[in-house]
Amino acid sequence: MNLSLGHYLVLGAALFLIGLFGALTRRNVIGILMSIELMFNAANINLAAFNHYLHPGGVTGMTAALFVITVAAAEVVVGLALVLTIYRNSATAYVEDFHLLKG
Amino acid sequence: MIEAIAFYCMAAVALTGAVMVVTLRNTVHSALALGLSLAGVAGLFACLGADFLFAGQLLIYVGGIAILIIFAVMLLGRASNLHLRQINQQWAAALLVCAITGAGLWRLVGIFRHTSSSAPATATTRSIGLLMLGDYALPFELISLVLLAALLGAVFFSRKDIS
Repeated sequence: MNLSLGHYLVLGAALFLIGLFGALTRRNVIGILMSIELMFNAANINLAAFNHYLHPGGVTGMTAALFVITVAAAEVVVGLALVLTIYRNSATAYVEDFHLLKG
Repeated sequence: MIEAIAFYCMAAVALTGAVMVVTLRNTVHSALALGLSLAGVAGLFACLGADFLFAGQLLIYVGGIAILIIFAVMLLGRASNLHLRQINQQWAAALLVCAITGAGLWRLVGIFRHTSSSAPATATTRSIGLLMLGDYALPFELISLVLLAALLGAVFFSRKDIS
């Protein structure tokens, strides 16, 4: 049997939904960051799969995936620095305890 | 046939790792499972013939981001955290949101269900390099600015207060 584009898209959708569930339910802020990384990866799988199946021989989709990887790296670096600063000031890593701006 | 076996093995690794990231109680174990899942995604890139993306995924995600997250977990973890619940009260609502999103995605996937390709995979590194320095030169330079800003931001936020 041959693999079709649908196989990769179903896998990407499943990975995205797992990441979405984690981002909505994890209490730990690092768990939320990890779930967001999973969602980025699902998007990258879709980009590479569309490149392979709809534009064989081209590399535009892969280049877009590389840009996504770069932005994700920048995001996780700044995010972890912020988390460390928040932890140093309020000694908690759980998002329901981040209520500094609550009226 | 061999492609299908490789795809299903890598998909199983990626999905198992992802489920472990979301459900495990110990955050260190979650971070290790994230590395596993990212490696599975790298294998999927190899199945798709994206060789440069495969190498980039292994170097940046598995070798960089997963290790960085493990370091952060170790910096701000406490032993008491191991016994706390890691999932909040709204998991039923989150499941509902995921089900609705999944139904929408399923309809979109149906459009491409039978699209197949017989083109052999070719080496992509040279084409990506030419594209990055040709048509995509401006985004390429902008992304380096973004990385510089992220570097400065990380140093700025994590420095000790001098007051």
